[in-house]
Amino acid sequence: MEDIRIENISKSFDGFLAVNEVTLSIQQGELFSFLGPSGCGKTTLLRMIAGFETPLTGRILLGNQDITQLPPYKRQVNTIFQNYSLFPHMTVYENVAFALRIKKLPSSEIDSRVREMLQLVKMEDQAAKYPNTISGGQKQRVAIARALINKPKVLLLDEPLAALDLKLRQHMLIELMNIHDAVGITFIYVTHDQSEAMSISDRIAVMNHGNIIQSGPPDDIYERPASIFSAYFIGETNLIPAEVTAIEDDYVDLKCFAGADESFEIDSTFHFRPEVGQKLTVSLRPEKIAISRTKPRILDDINFVRGVIEDILYLGTHTQYIVKVGNLKFRVFSQHKRVYFDDKALDWEEPVWLFWHDSDTWLIDEVTPAGLDVGEVNVFERPIQMSRGIKRIIRSE
Amino acid sequence: MKTGKIYQKLNLTIFTLVMVFLYIPIIILIIFSFNNSKIVAGWKGFTFKYYLLLFQNAQIKTAFQHTLIIAVTSTLASTVLGVLCALGLENKRFSGRKMMSALIYIPLIMPDILMGVSLALLFNFLRVQTGMVTVFIAHVTFCLSYTVIVIQSRLAGFDYSLVEAAMDLGAKPWLIFWKVKFPLMLPGIIAGALLAFTLSIDDFVITFFTSGRGFDTLPIYVEGAIRRGTITTINALSTLMIGFTLFLVVVTKRIRKLLLT
Amino acid sequence: MSHQHRHNQPSLLETKDLSKRNLQSWLLSAPSLIWLTAFFSIPYLIILIYSLLTPDIYEVKFLFSLNAYRDIFSGLYFKPFYLSMRLAMITTMLCLLLGYPVAYLIARSSEKWKNILLILIIIPFWTNFIIRIFSWRIFLSTHGVMNEVLMALNLISSPIEIIRTDLAVIIVMVYVYLPYMILPLYSVIEKLDFTLLDAATDLGASNRQAFFKVTLPLSREGIFAGSILVFIPALGAYLIPQLVGNQNALYIGQIITYRIKNIPRNWPVASALSLVMLIIIAMILLTGYYIYQKRRIRKLHENR
Repeated sequence: MEDIRIENISKSFDGFLAVNEVTLSIQQGELFSFLGPSGCGKTTLLRMIAGFETPLTGRILLGNQDITQLPPYKRQVNTIFQNYSLFPHMTVYENVAFALRIKKLPSSEIDSRVREMLQLVKMEDQAAKYPNTISGGQKQRVAIARALINKPKVLLLDEPLAALDLKLRQHMLIELMNIHDAVGITFIYVTHDQSEAMSISDRIAVMNHGNIIQSGPPDDIYERPASIFSAYFIGETNLIPAEVTAIEDDYVDLKCFAGADESFEIDSTFHFRPEVGQKLTVSLRPEKIAISRTKPRILDDINFVRGVIEDILYLGTHTQYIVKVGNLKFRVFSQHKRVYFDDKALDWEEPVWLFWHDSDTWLIDEVTPAGLDVGEVNVFERPIQMSRGIKRIIRSE
Repeated sequence: MKTGKIYQKLNLTIFTLVMVFLYIPIIILIIFSFNNSKIVAGWKGFTFKYYLLLFQNAQIKTAFQHTLIIAVTSTLASTVLGVLCALGLENKRFSGRKMMSALIYIPLIMPDILMGVSLALLFNFLRVQTGMVTVFIAHVTFCLSYTVIVIQSRLAGFDYSLVEAAMDLGAKPWLIFWKVKFPLMLPGIIAGALLAFTLSIDDFVITFFTSGRGFDTLPIYVEGAIRRGTITTINALSTLMIGFTLFLVVVTKRIRKLLLT
Repeated sequence: MSHQHRHNQPSLLETKDLSKRNLQSWLLSAPSLIWLTAFFSIPYLIILIYSLLTPDIYEVKFLFSLNAYRDIFSGLYFKPFYLSMRLAMITTMLCLLLGYPVAYLIARSSEKWKNILLILIIIPFWTNFIIRIFSWRIFLSTHGVMNEVLMALNLISSPIEIIRTDLAVIIVMVYVYLPYMILPLYSVIEKLDFTLLDAATDLGASNRQAFFKVTLPLSREGIFAGSILVFIPALGAYLIPQLVGNQNALYIGQIITYRIKNIPRNWPVASALSLVMLIIIAMILLTGYYIYQKRRIRKLHENR
C-alpha cells in the first residue's frame, strides 16, 4: 500500500508561515482534495509533495520512502500545473513523449506508449500540433497525458480547471474522474472551488491560514462542519449566535439571538455535550428550511420561527428567499416541487413561517464572530495558533 | 526551482568574473588618474596635477564644447524627427510602413565604419567642407533610428481607452494629442533623447570620417592623444567622463521615476 | 463603436478615413524619410560610384576604372576579410559563453536585484568607447598594471606581452561587445515561463537536462539577436585593433580606414571593400531571415 504520509510539515516564506505543522495521511488510490481560499497554503503543500519547495519541518513519506529531500525528478510524483505549462516549442506528441525521452527509452517503445496515452485522453489526431494552436480543454488533456505516461504513484493537480469556462469545467471534471477510475492511482487535487472538490473527492481537507481545519468525506464536511470556517466556506449556511438554556437526554434547548432585544427558542440534537449558559453557533443549511405562509401543524422535533420575506431570487431549479427574523437574515432554498405547501407564490414583504427538523440544526462549538458579513471569508483573520517550536524556527530565519 | 548546487555555483562564479572583468580596467584608470607619474607604471604619489592641467588645456576645452554642441543639436533634431516618424509608423495600415521600418532598422546593425565611409564620400562628392555641419548631419543620421525605436516601443503600450475617453467627453483631435497623447509619450521621448545624447557624445568612428582637420570632438581628441602618446591628462579626462556617465545614469533613473509617478 | 476599430487605427488626428490617415502617416514620416534617404541610402550609391573610379593621392579622379575590383578579386584583400570574420566569430562566441550565464542570473533574480544588476552592466556600457579601450591598454601594456601586479606577486618573472597581439584584440572586443549580447539575452530569458522548468524536472529531467531541452531552445531568439548585434559591428572593427592590436596583421576595418585617410589614398578600393563588407552582411542577414521564415512556415504546416 503506497500511502502518502505528511508528518508535521511546515513552510514559511520570509517570516510568513504558509503551512503550519500539517499532519495528514492519504490512502493509495484516493482522490483527495485540498480546499481553501487563496493564501491558505494548499498550493504550497502541493509543491512540497511535488518537490519544488523544501519543508521547514517534518517529512513526507511515499509508501516506505522518505521523499522529503528528494528533487522533483527523483520522485514518482507528477504534477498538472495551473496553466498546464506545456512546452511551447514542442508538439503535443513531443510534450507527451518528454518524460520517456529523458529516460532514453527506444523510439518504438516511446511511440507506442505515447499513442496509447493520447488515445486515453482523446488527442490522437492532434499529435502534430503545437500548444499555442489548441484549446484550453485540449491543453488540459495533453498535460494529463504527459504526466501519466510516467506511471507515477501520485498525480498532483494544481487548480487544473481554473482557466476553463463553466460548461467545459463540468465536462472536464467528469473526464478527470473517469481517468482516475481508469488509472487507479492517487490523485491530489488543489482547488478553491468547493463544488469541484465536493463533486469528485473521496476525501477533502479544508484549509485556512496554513492549517487543516477539517478533513473527511464531502458529506461529512458538508453536513457536519467542525468549525464555523468549514460551515461557511463549503456551501451556504445560516450562522446563528445562540446560548444553551437547558440540556436534556437527546436534545438541548437554545436561545437564538436575533438582535438587541429579540430572540427565539429552538431545540437541537447534539454531537458534543455543551454546558448550560455556553455560547455557541448554530449552523443551519438553507435547503433544510421549509417556508410557508401558513403555520405548520405543531409536530415534535420541528423548530419554527416567524419572519418577513425581504428578497426573492428565482433560480430555475429553486428559489432563494432572504427572510428577516429580527436582525438575522435567513437564507432559505426552496425547490419547486408541487408537493410543497403553498399554491400561490410567496411575495415580498410577506410574513412567513420557517421550519425545520431539530436534527438539521448543527451545533458548532465556537462563538459567532461579530460582523459576520456574507461573502467575506476574511472575517476569519484569527491569529494562527503556532507551537513554540515553530515560532522559534521562524524567528531564527 | 531548485537549481543544482554545482550549476548555481558555476553560474555565480562566471557572473562575478564577468563583473570583475567589466570594472577592473575602469577602476584602475580612475586610480591612476591621481598618480603623480608620466607613465602608467608604479605609483608615484597622489596628485590632482593632471586634473588641473586638464582645465588649462585649450584644445580639450574646444573639443569639449564641440562635443556638447553637436550632442545637443543632434539630439534635438533626431528626437523631433523621431517623434514624427514614430507617430507616422503607428498606423498599421500605412502603405509605406515596411519601407520606413526597413530604413529605420537597417542602420542599427550596420558597422559604424560603413556609415562613416559613405558619409565621407558623400560630402566629398557634394564638395561640402567637412566640419561642424557635416558632423551634425552624421550624428542625426545615426541617432534617428534609435529615437524612433525607443519612442515606438513606448507608443506600443499606449492605452487607447484614454483617447476614447477624451473623445467621448467631446475633445477635438488636436487637443487630444496635446493634452492626452503627448504627455504620455513624454517618458519615451525623453528616454529616446537621452539615448541619442549618449550615443552622440560617445561616437568616434563616424565623427572621425566626417569631421576633417579642424573640428575635434572629445573622442577624436582622446584618440589622437593616445596615438601621439601624450596621455598624461587623458587618465584624468577619462575619469571625469566616467563620472559624467554615472551622473547621466542617475539622472535617467530619477527622470524615469519622476515621470512614472 | 467597437474597441477593436479604434485600437487598430490609432492616429494623431483620430480620423477614420483610411486614405486620410495614410496621407497623415506619409506626412509624418516624410522628414525622416527624406533625411535617411539623403544621408543613409544615397551615400551607398556614392560608394558604388566611387568604387568604379580611379584613385588619386588626395581624392579621386572621375575616371571610370575597374582596378579596384580587379585588386579585390585577385585575392589581395582575402586575408584581412578572413581575419575580420574570424575575429567576429570568436568575439561572438565568447560573448555568448560569458553573456548567457550573466543574463540568466539577472533574469532569475528578485526585482530589487534585477534593477541593481542591470545598472551595473549598463554603466561600463555607457562609458565612452575610447576610454574603455584605453583602460585596457593601461592594464595590459608591458609596464602596465597587470604585469606590475603579477611581477610583484612573483607569479611571473618578466612581463607578459599581451598588448599588440590578437589576444589583446579579442579581450577588448569581448569587453566592449559583451553588453550587446547580455541585454537582448536578458530581455528574452526574463520573459520565459519558468514553470516550464518545474514541469520538466517534475517529469524526470535533471536540472542540466531541463536547461538544454527547455531553457536553451526557448531562448533561441535572444541568442540570435545578441549574436547579430555583436557579429556585424565586430566585422567592421577599426579602433580596437588599431589601438591594441598587432599592426602586422590588419583587419578589414583598418584597411578601409587607411585607404580613405592615409596618404596615398585609394578611395575606389576603400569603396569596393566597403561594398564587399556590405554584401557579406546582407548575406548573413538574409540567411538568418530565411531560416527564421522556414521555421515559421514549417510550424504553420504542421498545425493544419
